[in-house]
Amino acid sequence: MNPTDTGKFAFFIKSTKDVFSFFFTLTKKSRRTKIFFILSFLPVFMAFVVKFSQIFQLSRDIEGIYIFNNMVIAFYLQFLILILALFYGSSVTSEELEGKTLTYLTTRPVSKSSIIVGKYLAYSVIIVFMVTLGVLFSFLILNLSELRDLSLYRALFRDVAVLALGLMCYTAFFMFIGTILKKSIMFGLIFSFGWENVIQYFPGSTQKFTIVHYLKSLLPSVSRGRFSFLLFRLEPSSTATSIFMLFLIAAVFVVLACVLFTHKEYILKD
Amino acid sequence: MLIRCLLVEKEGQGSGDHQVTAVIQTQNLSKWYGNVLGLNDVTLEIEAGITGILGPNGAGKSTFLKLITGQIKSNIGSVTIDGQRVWNNFSLFSKIGFCPEQDSFFEEMTGWQFLTSLLRLYHFSTAEIEEKADKALEIVELTEDKHRAVRSYSRGMRQRLKVAQSIAHDPAIIILDEPLNGLDPLGRRKIIRLIKEYKGEGRTIVVSSHVLPEIEAMTNQIILIHQGKIFAQGDIHYIRDLIETHPHIISIKCSDPRQLAQKFIQHDFVLKVNFDQKKGSLLVETNNRDKFFGLLPVLFVENRIEVEEITSPDDNLQAVFDYLIGK
Amino acid sequence: MTIKERGYTHWDGELRDGRFPWWPITRMGIKLTFKRRFFKLFFGLTLMPALVWLVGIYISERLEDFKFMMEGETDFLNVNPLYFKTYFTNEFLLFMVVMIMVFSGAGLISDDLRHNALQLYFARPLKKRDYLTGKAAVIFFFLLILTLVPGVVFILFKMIFAGNFQFFVSYPWLILSVVAYSLLLTTFFAFYTLLMSSVGKNRRYVSILIFGVYFFSDIFSAIFREIFRSQYFFLLSIKTNLQQIGAVLFRQRTPFNIPWFYSLLVIVAICLFAAYLLKRKVRGVEIIK
Repeated sequence: MNPTDTGKFAFFIKSTKDVFSFFFTLTKKSRRTKIFFILSFLPVFMAFVVKFSQIFQLSRDIEGIYIFNNMVIAFYLQFLILILALFYGSSVTSEELEGKTLTYLTTRPVSKSSIIVGKYLAYSVIIVFMVTLGVLFSFLILNLSELRDLSLYRALFRDVAVLALGLMCYTAFFMFIGTILKKSIMFGLIFSFGWENVIQYFPGSTQKFTIVHYLKSLLPSVSRGRFSFLLFRLEPSSTATSIFMLFLIAAVFVVLACVLFTHKEYILKD
Repeated sequence: MLIRCLLVEKEGQGSGDHQVTAVIQTQNLSKWYGNVLGLNDVTLEIEAGITGILGPNGAGKSTFLKLITGQIKSNIGSVTIDGQRVWNNFSLFSKIGFCPEQDSFFEEMTGWQFLTSLLRLYHFSTAEIEEKADKALEIVELTEDKHRAVRSYSRGMRQRLKVAQSIAHDPAIIILDEPLNGLDPLGRRKIIRLIKEYKGEGRTIVVSSHVLPEIEAMTNQIILIHQGKIFAQGDIHYIRDLIETHPHIISIKCSDPRQLAQKFIQHDFVLKVNFDQKKGSLLVETNNRDKFFGLLPVLFVENRIEVEEITSPDDNLQAVFDYLIGK
Repeated sequence: MTIKERGYTHWDGELRDGRFPWWPITRMGIKLTFKRRFFKLFFGLTLMPALVWLVGIYISERLEDFKFMMEGETDFLNVNPLYFKTYFTNEFLLFMVVMIMVFSGAGLISDDLRHNALQLYFARPLKKRDYLTGKAAVIFFFLLILTLVPGVVFILFKMIFAGNFQFFVSYPWLILSVVAYSLLLTTFFAFYTLLMSSVGKNRRYVSILIFGVYFFSDIFSAIFREIFRSQYFFLLSIKTNLQQIGAVLFRQRTPFNIPWFYSLLVIVAICLFAAYLLKRKVRGVEIIK
């Protein structure tokens, strides 16, 4: 199919869709995905244990929503989405280079940009699904007795949306890093657990150079509890600014990754 | 050691025959890997039919193929296919099939999934994808194993799958980097036969190998490459004829080699005569094949010599290659 | 057809195993690790805490000269077993140990699995334990430089700066504590890293696992402790178990109110589990299901 016949944009969309379908099918069944699925379901296991112990009065009585907001969401936000985004984001290009399968993709009539975007979307969908399921089940188990309270669902939807946005943002960033650096994991770990954890607490404009600042700005402040520091935000930005910035960050890094991947030469070692 | 780069005029060119359009054209193509020169100032044209790229390991064959398939960028020069530049021109790949040298796959897929997933990228319909995948797998005889994971395939099966993915979409141009690696003799024959069939259909096939008999079995049109440079391009026999400094050797097994030798040495175009005791044959060195083969039957008839075998041991690719690189 | 002549002769002497058949594996592993870009810089950075503690030992012997900086508070510069325990169990050191494992240990077995190199290893007179010992020795090399070497250097330099052996006389068991804790830490991380490395063929995936599982354990421990208000959930955290044992070995008060031998049991159990899985995973023939 010649791109000039159907319009370049339509062709790009179709190619991206085909690449998406290719990698979605490949990745959803892979062993690694199953392992990460189990890891992202650990909070569900934890929720089971907590609920079980509450039923049998083995633990102190804490509101399910407190545990969900302070611990489960904090765990996902400050840890799990970083790990997932780092692995899957950096895998977009690194996987093809390490596995020497890049040739199979770059000798097809699909643009390099559609390879990047298609694969990014496939991975993003999988990890957003993973995290959403984990959050949803944790929420349901921990709030078993309050499921009729509709306001909780609004909070759940907000939390899932924030985590999804965070995943897309971080995945785009790490995908860009994976496109330029060979040692993207080390850089990613230092960025995630060094830069993001530290700079977000700097007053003034510096904190705005972290992705987690905008994510936390979308969540309500938490003033009580031992884990409140994990969700503490110093000077939050407005909701509109935060959403705009998160989308902008994701878009910019996806575009940069596409441009770099298109023009960079990758030499596969024999 | 004088290394000659021979750019050979094809027989029939300039005689007013129809112009044959080059499918693949390179102009001053050069590629460096850091300080290592991979390909050095290559200017050539490849036409429809089978072209063999021959050279030892590290000669630059894979570099050349990667350049013409847009896997890497040239440092100097250009490469075009059907008049279009290759680098970042993905639309060309709808008519190009490439079989890479490296043994790498999406290991968790089955052979069937591998082929159909890649075919999907050509925007074929589902029915077309299944039909093409089935056909390709049948050609490479992997139909029975198509639902097994690629990681459970043997070396030969993996190689056949690689060939299958390069032909599944019916490309007009097929580029194969060492396609017979890992195949058993029967598998090799089948792939060679397939490549020859494709030639008959008017496709352009470029095959690289460091195994000379493989190339000889497929084609007479060769490109000899060594240390990043093109040594020769054209018909193997024509190249051989042009190597004037190295006379031709002809081996003759007959009933009376000594008498035949006596007759040969009277002619000035016969340079040397040797007797191969083991084979019982006569080895004649000549600098004029035409005159020699014109004389040969006359001598046989006049002297009533029975001929068992006539061969030209150096009229093959190995000899041509050895002569050109100065061995 | 009989062989009338052969151009070789068999060795008529005794065939023996090499004394250290694992040594070539270790040597190559260390060499390859140092070849990795930025590793030397990174490894140098991990030695920063040791340097800081060494400077502290120097200052402790020159308190009068540095009094203007201290503003009266000099308790933390008392070089005693607590000082050593603080170095060995500080969070930054443990974090850097994990990062070193990510950098140097992730590919130890996973690269061999990826390139089907196990068949090459076991086609030679090499036993599984030699292979694993060789790989573990790479980890031992780097971690002992971070733990045992600084510990011994601290003791030596304390005596050198003091100009007497008083420190050694006061704490003769300290050197044994340093050796014991270093070996415990190193052995644990060797098992842990090799186990993770044997799980996948992808080095990046293994790096994430090494990092992730270590920190997961800490996070879950903290969450369960908060919910159940029980100190026993400290046993879920690798870090706190190591800190417990470290405190005991340096004869200090344990930071957490749980019996220290429970922590030791957890660490030993993880090592045994890792050994069991490694024995099953590492083999010359790959079985494809």
